[in-house]
Amino acid sequence: MKEYSYVAPASVGECLQILHQTDRAARITAGCTNLLPNLKSNKIPDCVLVDISGLQELKGIQMEGQTIRIGALVTIDQLVHSTEIEQGAAALWQACQRFADPLVRNRATIGGNLANASPAADSVTPLLAMKASVTVESVADGKREIPIESFFVAPGKSVLRCDELITAISFVSEPEMNSCFLKFGLRQAMAISVINVAVALKLTGNRIADIRIALGAVSPVAMRAKQTESFLIGQEISPAVLDKAAELVKSEICPISDLRASKEYRTLMAGVLLRRAIEAVLG
Amino acid sequence: METTIVGKGLPKFDAWPKVKGNIIYADDYSLPGMLYAKVLRSKYPAANILAIDTARAQALPGVHAVLTSADVPRNNLRAKFGQSTDIGAQFEGLYRVLAEKKVRFAGEAIALVAADTEKLAEAALELIDVTYEQLPGVFDPVAALEPGAYCVGDTDTNVVSRFKIRKGDVEAAFQTADVIVENTYRVPYSDHAYLEPESGVAWIDENEVITLRVSTQVIEHFRTIAEVLGLPHNRVRVIGTWVGGGFGGKEDITVESFLALLTWKTRRPVKLTYTREESLVAHGKRHPFQIKHKLGATKDGRLVAAETELIADSGAYIYLSPWVLLYATVNGVGPYNIPNVKIDTVAVLTNNPFSSAFRGFGAVQPNFAYESQIDEVARQLGIDPLTIRQKNCLQQGDELATGVVYDRHVGLSEAAEKAWQALGPKRENTDKNIKIGHGLAIGMMSYGRLTFLHDTSRSYVKIELDGSVLIRCGIPDLGAGQAQALCQIVGEELGVPQERIMIYISDTALTPLAGTSTATRQLYMSGNATLKAVREVKDRLLDKAAMLLGVERDNLRLHNEQIYDKTAPEKQLKLQAVVGRCSADGDEMYSEAQFNAPFTDVPISEMITGHTFADFTFGAYAVAVAVDVETGAVTLEKVVACYDVGRSINILNVEGQIEGGGVTSIGYALTENLVVEQGCLKSHSFAEYLLPTAADVPDIETILIESGSGIGPYGAKGVGEPSGNAMAPAITNAICDAVGARVTQLPATAERVLFTMLSQD
Amino acid sequence: MLNAKQEIAIKVLVNGAELKSTVAAESTLLDFLRQQSGIVDVKCGCNKGDCGTCTVVYEGQTVKSCLVLAASANNKEVWTLKGLEDDPLMKKLQASFVRHGAVQCGFCIPGMLVSSRGCLMRNPQPSRSEIREAISGNLCRCTGYQKIVAAVWAVATETPNEGA
Repeated sequence: MKEYSYVAPASVGECLQILHQTDRAARITAGCTNLLPNLKSNKIPDCVLVDISGLQELKGIQMEGQTIRIGALVTIDQLVHSTEIEQGAAALWQACQRFADPLVRNRATIGGNLANASPAADSVTPLLAMKASVTVESVADGKREIPIESFFVAPGKSVLRCDELITAISFVSEPEMNSCFLKFGLRQAMAISVINVAVALKLTGNRIADIRIALGAVSPVAMRAKQTESFLIGQEISPAVLDKAAELVKSEICPISDLRASKEYRTLMAGVLLRRAIEAVLG
Repeated sequence: METTIVGKGLPKFDAWPKVKGNIIYADDYSLPGMLYAKVLRSKYPAANILAIDTARAQALPGVHAVLTSADVPRNNLRAKFGQSTDIGAQFEGLYRVLAEKKVRFAGEAIALVAADTEKLAEAALELIDVTYEQLPGVFDPVAALEPGAYCVGDTDTNVVSRFKIRKGDVEAAFQTADVIVENTYRVPYSDHAYLEPESGVAWIDENEVITLRVSTQVIEHFRTIAEVLGLPHNRVRVIGTWVGGGFGGKEDITVESFLALLTWKTRRPVKLTYTREESLVAHGKRHPFQIKHKLGATKDGRLVAAETELIADSGAYIYLSPWVLLYATVNGVGPYNIPNVKIDTVAVLTNNPFSSAFRGFGAVQPNFAYESQIDEVARQLGIDPLTIRQKNCLQQGDELATGVVYDRHVGLSEAAEKAWQALGPKRENTDKNIKIGHGLAIGMMSYGRLTFLHDTSRSYVKIELDGSVLIRCGIPDLGAGQAQALCQIVGEELGVPQERIMIYISDTALTPLAGTSTATRQLYMSGNATLKAVREVKDRLLDKAAMLLGVERDNLRLHNEQIYDKTAPEKQLKLQAVVGRCSADGDEMYSEAQFNAPFTDVPISEMITGHTFADFTFGAYAVAVAVDVETGAVTLEKVVACYDVGRSINILNVEGQIEGGGVTSIGYALTENLVVEQGCLKSHSFAEYLLPTAADVPDIETILIESGSGIGPYGAKGVGEPSGNAMAPAITNAICDAVGARVTQLPATAERVLFTMLSQD
Repeated sequence: MLNAKQEIAIKVLVNGAELKSTVAAESTLLDFLRQQSGIVDVKCGCNKGDCGTCTVVYEGQTVKSCLVLAASANNKEVWTLKGLEDDPLMKKLQASFVRHGAVQCGFCIPGMLVSSRGCLMRNPQPSRSEIREAISGNLCRCTGYQKIVAAVWAVATETPNEGA
């Protein structure tokens, strides 16, 4: 019989103390949209459930100059209804609208989506494309900022230590960069991404001045397609260039076959979605 | 016939309690001192059980019973699946309560536990030690047919049944064909996915009757449960709850025997509710089929010959496979007038999950094949989808493949035309990545059971002394309005408003047995039984009223709880007054009537000829799809259904059946993929087994034809199961129309569509 | 410092009444409602957030109660279908569901009604596709959603006599 225990710290400080001191495995719980299904499937070993859902400190979206700072407990639904996000992070805003279903969006938090470290997580690809950084805190090291690109290490695994708490996600809003998110799922709602793509792009005339491309569910962790990016930077947009980029991106990814799709299909889709995402950004 | 209540879209009487949250479904019920049951299930699809040690589980405080097959009085029965007549071994299967020596599928029940809490019962399961010896098993039905294949059961063959139909000479006829289309089609397992998992509570009443309150389509299983326990039939009572969806998945016994055994052993009330994951492994699935189909036509689009071979995967136990296979056989080449037909079918045991009843019951799988085939013939001949169907589809007086002349109205041509026309012209499309396609498919399916099952139903109608009405009928209501239809029939006949009618259903002790809520039979069977009962009452009532009023009996009409002379409306009596006079004279206004479906003999050979069903329902689907040529994604943009329902008793409920059956088949066509690998289910939950959500389907336009030609009450036909028939091929035909790719395997996921397109380029 | 407990005493305001109970650390709000409090109008179809039959209003938001930890519901407010029976919008929705034939087996209905109410509270004039999107976390296997959408649409457009 599994034995869990529960504690609800009253502040981030208290939470960090708990994480610091507990000799048992601790699991942060907030929106619980991944944790509870996994727990019911007996996938969660005995642990202390550290409930941070009441921590007001982690609930706001703030603009600090050009930086948007999203508290770890901000829900996906709050992001959908945030003008800051709509205006400052189009790809993330679009991703949040395609996230799970409306009821889950009311519970699921951005911090939880990162902590869960799924390679198919819908919020991660836009954050990669926006070069977000993850703020984590611990008693031992205080605050540290981890670039999201180095945050994930394997499916379900991140660099987050068990004494650390994700407190915020931040990124610089770049008005000159336009972004877009595309998801391919097996149905219109409650669908895990077969593949998703986020693109952030700056155009000078008809030339790509800067571009960041992120893909989900095509490698053990969500990834940037840097070779494709370097190929595209400086190029004039043309069908031939887009085709070349679509071919290139296929060579950068290493998808697996699973219940949702084969490796071959994901590979094809990576090219299609990349081209479409760039076209969508260009309008 | 003019009606005032029949046909109206009246709110179902169970709708209000449902929207108020007042219905007490199976798992909502609890009793004091109740224990919680859990089932230990096999980890392996094929294995010998060398030993089961329950000692550690028994010793856990709070555990009250741990049972294995050794504790079951009769663990193996020749199951009749709710049927009361003797139909012979070829149509019966083994019903084994708990696995004995040899495990046949992953998820097969091995042991039962009852404990004080669910958590304790789960803990006890982990303390039962089963020693397995894994066996190779066989997972492909074609391989299972090979000589020397691993034998799933205890006999030396995996063949469950074989049937065939022969008409004319197909070899010679194919010689005369200008076009021959030959393809192999594959349809997958699918799950009923009712939202209410299997559940029930059992207890022993004050008279030592084992009583079960359970979510089931078949309360008649009380007999089998009694036999499992070695008790007389009258010592088991099944009270059916309002069912949270059935679709055939609650047709076989689910939790009943387990509950009965545990309550009998512990003498305590026991509850057993499956988790969703358990539900997915524990109940039967729709049969996967592999279908070879060869269809020949002359240049003018006339079908000359059809030859088909169907292989059904029965999974690990027989259950309803012989019946499903017989349906598939009779439906093998569809509702077409084809002079030369050869059909061969076989159902095969494997170590996969067992297959059994699912809405569509063997009619839906061949429909995918034959409706794809006729579309291919039309494409190759340059004939439009409507014309080819109208040219060849069954007409009144035509002969079915089994040699039976169908002498009732056939609404097929009309249904196909209405659906196709309502679809309209293709929409404008400027997106280069999108191709629009239109698809049409027709279908037929029986309503009412196989005629050799000698089906009967009973219903009881009573007018109380105050003029209010009581119906008792042992009909399980699955949500399709089964009970409501009876209320409208009685209201129509007696001229009594719905709020003055009360109905009691689904209780083997207190309501006349009405047979199973399966096979689209309840409106037909229990509707007719109820109509017969209410008319018997009405006859006596009118005799009395005619006498009291001194008028011609034939001129009497019942309306609004009044009986009046239609030629002299001032001559009238209150219904209540007439009932009162009858009662005073010793004639209670009640009747219990039995309706008997037409009977035929049990088929004694593999060759199927003559009548197998009492009647069929015919219909058509027309759909518009948008196919994304780069991703293969299919968006359904428009759906039109047209069915000849004979006569609708409640139009909202009829439309609801078609819309619901249609969307279930949209799932079958596009998203639902129950993955089984080497006998193990990989689609563990609704996160993997994807039902369509509201956002995945368009509005469905439903066109009803009311030909009045059915054999149900007022000329009604059944529509529950036929309603989904033909949706899947309509969709794949539309895909083919859009992008020229013929998808021969379901579901038509984006990936499958794209790769089919690429392979056919 | 670490005051983690296996059993947690909670007090939840359910349908306007304060319910007290002791819950296991891993119990869900759904477990608490159905199994401990006998509030069975909330259904359990999958227990994993995949079906929506357990939908309730939690702290003003429409959520799946199987995805809420019971312990974290301490001092929170929960409304289920039954608690909303005097809510004017819910009354309209119920009547519309009945009139449109939107109810078949009824097992999805408590959740579907709570979601539909949430939809209209947030967006009183939704399009039909917005309704479909808003209830896309609630599965229904019987109706094909058509009459459910029609019922919600009729309330939104206040034309009670217009059918599907």
